Amino acid sequence: MKKEFTCIVCPMSCALTVEEKNGEIIVLGNGCKRGKEFGINEFTDPKRMVTTTVKVMGSHLKRLPVISTDELPLDHLFVYMHELYQVVLEAPVEKGQIIIENIGNSGVDIVASRSLKQIELKKENA
Amino acid sequence: MKELNVDVAVIGGGPAGLAAAIEAKEQGVDHVVILERDVELGGILQQCIHDGFGLHRFGKRLSGCGYAHHFIESVAEKAIDVKLKTIVLEITDEKIIYAMNEVDGMMKITCGAIVLAMGCRERTRSQVFIWGTRPSGVLTAGTVQRYINMEGYLPGEKAVILGSGDIGLIMARRMTLEGIEVEGVYEVMKTPGGLTRNISQCLKDFQIPMHLATTVVRIHGNKKMEGVTVAQVDEKRQPIQGTERFIPCDLLVLAVGLIPENELSRQLEVEMDPRTKGPIVDEHFMTSIPGVFAAGNVVTVFDLVDYVSLTGEIAGRGAAKFLQGKLNLDLPAKDVLPGDAVNFVVPQRIRTVNAEDSIPIYFRVKEEMRKVEVTATVDGEVCMRKKHPIALPPEMMVETIQLEKIHEDARELRVSVKVG
Amino acid sequence: MKKKIIQAIQENESLSAYKIEVSVSSDRIVTLIGEVDDWQQVVDCGHLSAKVKGVRNVVNDLTAKGIVIPKRDRSEEIQQAIANGKETACDIVVIGAGVIGCAIARELAKYQVKTIVVEKNSDVAEEATKANNGNIHPGVLAKPGTLKAELNLKGNEMYTQLSKELNFELQRPGSLNVIYKKSEWRKMKAIQVMKKTGLGHLVPPMRQVMKVPGLKWLTGEEVKQMEPHLKGDPIGGFWMTTMGLVEPYEVCIAMAENAVENGTEFRLNAEVLDVLVENGRTAGVVTNQGVIRSEIVINAAGVYTDTIAEMANDRFFTIHPRRGAIAIIDKSRKGFLKTPAGIRGGKEAKKNNTKGGGASVTPEGNLLWGPTAVEIPWKEDKSVEASDLDYITKLGMSVTNEIQRSEIITFFAGIRAADYMEDFIIERSRKVGGLIHVAGIQSPGLASAPAIAEMVAGLVNEERGGLLENPNFNPIREPKPQFRHLSHEAQDNLIQKNAKYGNIICRCELITEGEILDAIHSTIPATTIDAVKRRTRSGMGRCQGGFCGPRVLEILARELEKEPTEVTLKGNESYILKADSRQPIVAGRRKP
Repeated sequence: MKKEFTCIVCPMSCALTVEEKNGEIIVLGNGCKRGKEFGINEFTDPKRMVTTTVKVMGSHLKRLPVISTDELPLDHLFVYMHELYQVVLEAPVEKGQIIIENIGNSGVDIVASRSLKQIELKKENA
Repeated sequence: MKELNVDVAVIGGGPAGLAAAIEAKEQGVDHVVILERDVELGGILQQCIHDGFGLHRFGKRLSGCGYAHHFIESVAEKAIDVKLKTIVLEITDEKIIYAMNEVDGMMKITCGAIVLAMGCRERTRSQVFIWGTRPSGVLTAGTVQRYINMEGYLPGEKAVILGSGDIGLIMARRMTLEGIEVEGVYEVMKTPGGLTRNISQCLKDFQIPMHLATTVVRIHGNKKMEGVTVAQVDEKRQPIQGTERFIPCDLLVLAVGLIPENELSRQLEVEMDPRTKGPIVDEHFMTSIPGVFAAGNVVTVFDLVDYVSLTGEIAGRGAAKFLQGKLNLDLPAKDVLPGDAVNFVVPQRIRTVNAEDSIPIYFRVKEEMRKVEVTATVDGEVCMRKKHPIALPPEMMVETIQLEKIHEDARELRVSVKVG
Repeated sequence: MKKKIIQAIQENESLSAYKIEVSVSSDRIVTLIGEVDDWQQVVDCGHLSAKVKGVRNVVNDLTAKGIVIPKRDRSEEIQQAIANGKETACDIVVIGAGVIGCAIARELAKYQVKTIVVEKNSDVAEEATKANNGNIHPGVLAKPGTLKAELNLKGNEMYTQLSKELNFELQRPGSLNVIYKKSEWRKMKAIQVMKKTGLGHLVPPMRQVMKVPGLKWLTGEEVKQMEPHLKGDPIGGFWMTTMGLVEPYEVCIAMAENAVENGTEFRLNAEVLDVLVENGRTAGVVTNQGVIRSEIVINAAGVYTDTIAEMANDRFFTIHPRRGAIAIIDKSRKGFLKTPAGIRGGKEAKKNNTKGGGASVTPEGNLLWGPTAVEIPWKEDKSVEASDLDYITKLGMSVTNEIQRSEIITFFAGIRAADYMEDFIIERSRKVGGLIHVAGIQSPGLASAPAIAEMVAGLVNEERGGLLENPNFNPIREPKPQFRHLSHEAQDNLIQKNAKYGNIICRCELITEGEILDAIHSTIPATTIDAVKRRTRSGMGRCQGGFCGPRVLEILARELEKEPTEVTLKGNESYILKADSRQPIVAGRRKP
C-alpha cells in the first residue's frame, strides 16, 4: 500500500510518498529527518493536537478553551469531541487544570488552556 | 476630568502591548500603564483556542490563550498598571492621551512615551466587493471565532468560507468540529493564502474542499441569507461567465485579509508606509514622532505571534531608552528599502548610533519562490547573504543584520531575494 | 386617447413588433396587457402611455419573457386573521411607517384622532427611507405645475422648524452644480438673467426656478475656493443654497417617536393582508396581527401602494420599482467636500427620471456616491450589482478623482416607488370612501414629506369634516445624548451622571452603551441590530459591525430578555446565531 502526504513539519511542504515493504516503512520525498518521522506517523497512525472548548458556568465567558497534553489519534477525533461536549464546568478554572483525564484511554489528558475567574452574575439595570 | 502622569502608556493589551509593557518595566521604567478596550488582556489571542502558538518563544505548541497567559501573569507580577474597558479617543503630539472608561470617566494622561499597539482589524464584505443583497449571515472569520469560542453560539448550520488565509482554514476546522457543515473554502487567487500545514490539518483531515481561482460573486436573500453564488475567475480576477454555481447556505465566513488599525496613528499624523499600511518605524520601532512607538500588527500584519511579541519588546525597550535619554535623534536615519522581489521591509529606518548589536529586518516576498538567496546590501555592497529552501508571500521572513556590517556613513540598506 | 397611446407605442422602434392590448377607462386610466421581451420595454410602454395628454394614470399589466413576479394568495391568511377575532378600533389607520407614513402620523397627532400606524417590517424606516442620500432638495428640478414641484418647495422650507422641534440634524450647505463647459455656462447665465428680470415667469419650463429661493451663480474662482478638491478648472457654479442634508432614517424615527409621545400607536411586524370595504367605504384593514377597524385608511405603503389600492378594488396605477444604489466613503474624508456637488449637463441623469447625483455628503461627514436609478421587476430586489458600483464610481469621480474606490466602506440599495406619471399621487380615492392614497412617492419625497403630511391632514379633514386640534400636542422631541459630538469635559460629565456612557460599544463611530440603551428603551424601541444602528450609528463605521455586532447583540438580548439566538439583524428570520453550540439543533452533523 502506497500513500501520499504533504509534510507539515516545516514550510517546505515536501510531497511524501510512504510505502510498506516487507514490514518496513519507506518514506520518499522528505527533505529532512523530521519529515521521515512525520511520514511514518502519518502512514501508521496520524495524530493531532486536540483543541476545542467546553461549557462553563459562572464566568464572563460561556466557554472554556481546552487543549490536549499531547497528540491524539486523528481517527478518534470526533469521539473525543463528543465526550468533551458533554462537559459542564463551574468557574473558577485554573490554566492547566485537568478537564478529562486519560481521554478515551489514550494516556493523554485534556486541560484548560486558560484560567477563568468566577464572576458574580448580577442583572444589570439600564 | 481626571489627570494622570505616566512614563509609558501602551495602547492595546494584545500580544504586542503586553510584551512592550513588560519590557519597558524590565528596563527600569517606573510607571507603565496598559490601556485596553476589552474586559481582559490578551487581545485576539483569547479567542484563538487552536494550538501552534509560541513554537519559537516557548518551544511548545500552545493555544493562543495559553500563549497570552504567560504574558498576562508577568504583567500582574510586575505591577504594571492596567486599565480595562478603556478606549483611547485622542492622542496629541504633546503625548497627551484622552482615554475613558466607566469608572474613571474621561482621563487626560500625560505620557513620557507612548507605544501604539492597537493591532489590526478584518476586511469586510464591501472591501472585497461582493454583489447582491445584505441579509444576515455574512460575518468575518474573527467574529465567527468569537461567537463560537467565547460565547458558545453557532452562527449558522451550513457555511461557505471565502479566503484561504490561515484564519479561514482554522475556522473551517473549528466550525466542522462544532457541527457546522463547511461546504468549501474559496480563494480568488491561484495559490492558497494560508500555510500548507494548515491546509493539511484543517481541510484535508476533514475532507473540506478548497477551490482556487474561485470567488463568491453574489449573496442571496433579503433578510436571512439563502445562499451564495460562486464563480471561477480569470487572470484578472474577473468572474468567468458560465462557471457560476449557487450554493444554499446560511453563513458566509469572510477571511479576506487584515488591515493594521491605525486611526489613532493617522489622527496623530505619524508618517505612514503605504506598503505596510502602518507607521514608518526605526530600529526601536519608534514612529516619526519622537517618543511615540508602534509594535505588532499595527506596524504590519505579522503571521506569527512570536514576531509580534518581539517587536513589542523592541518598542518597549525603545520607550525606556527614550525616557532615559539614551536615544540620539539628532543624526539622520538610514533608509531600509525593499529590493528585488521584496514587498516591504520593517523597520523602514535605522539609526546605527542607537541600534543594538544586531537588527532584525522583517519582510515579505511578492511571490512564491524556491531555493532562494536573501541578500542585504549597504549602499550597493553586499553585507549579508542567506539561502532558504523556500520563500512564500504568506510567511513573514526575518533576517538579522549585524550592526558592524553597516558603516556609519552608509545611506541605505536594501533587502532583496532572488532564486539561486 | 387609446389611438394616441397605440400610436406612441408603435412609433417606438423597439416596441412596434409586440402585440400590446390597450384599454382606457371612463376615468382616463390606461391598462396595458401583453408580453414583451425585456423589463425595460415594459417600463417604456408605461411611460409612453403616461405621456399622452389627458391620461390620468397607467395600470401596466405587461409582462416580460422569463420574468415571473410571484403573486401570493393571501386568502387563507386573511380568513385566519379574521377568525382569530382580535379586533381594535381607531379613527385612522396609516399603512406604512416610512418617512411618509411617519410624517403623516406625526401631523395627525396634532388633532383629536386616534391613529394606528401598521408596518410589515420590524422597525420604521426599513425600506426606501433608510436607503437614500438624505438630500432635502431645493426644488429646482421638479417639473413646474406638478405636485412634486409644489410640495418639494414647501417641504424644504418646513424642515428648518421641524428639525428644531424634533431635534434631528439638519444642515444646509446648499448644493453645487459645477460647470466646466462654456455652452452650459452660457445657459446658466441666461437663467440668471431670466430669474433677475422676472422674464422667466413667461417661459413655462422656467416657472419652477423662478419660485426657488437662494440661488447663486458663482465664478470658477469662487467655486474652487468653496471646494478646493474639485477636479480641473470649473468655469462657474450654480449654488442652490437651500439644499439641506439629513440622515433620512433619523428624520423618520424622530417623527415616529414624537407621534407616539402624542398618543399615536405603532404596530410593527404588522402586515396588511386586506383592506376592508363596506358599502363603498373603507372599514379598516386586516393584518396578520388582527383586524383594525377605522373610518379612514391612509395608503402610504411605498412600493406596495398599488397592491393596497388593489385590495380595496381601487386599482388605477402601477408602481414600477426603481432601484437606487448608494456607496458610503470612509469618514477619514470628512470635510473633503463642503456641499454635495455634481456636474451640470450630464446626460445620464435625464435618461432615467432621476436627479442624477455626483458626490453628496451626510450630516455625519461621510461622503456619499450615487444613487443609481435602475428599473427592476421585483419590489424586494435590493441587490447591488457590479454595474451599479461602476456607475456610482463614475458619478463620484466626475467631480473629484482624488478618492479611491477602496475607500468605500459600504454599499446598499433602496427601491423607489415610482408610478408612470412620475409624480406624487396624493388624493382621496374616487371609488372607496375614507381611503386616501399617498403613492408614487419617490425623489423628492423625503424633502416633501412634511408638506405631504400637511396635505394629507387636509384630505382627512375633507373626508371627516371638522378635525379638532389636540390641545395637548407637544411638538418637541427631546434630544438624546450623542457622546461623539461632545467636548471631552462634557463627555466626562455625562459618564459621571451615568457610567453606561463610559462604555464604548462601537469604536469606529464612538457609540456608547448608554446611547444603545436609550435606543432600545425609546418610544419606538429598537429591537434589532439594524434598528440600533439607525438610531445610534453603531456598526456604521469602517469595520461595519465586526467589532460591535456581538456586543450589540448581547445588549439587545439582555435588555429585551431574549435568548441571543432570538435577536435578529433586521426582523423575521434574520437571526445572527443559529443555536447554542452545546444544544445542537443541527441534526446529523455531529458524529458520535
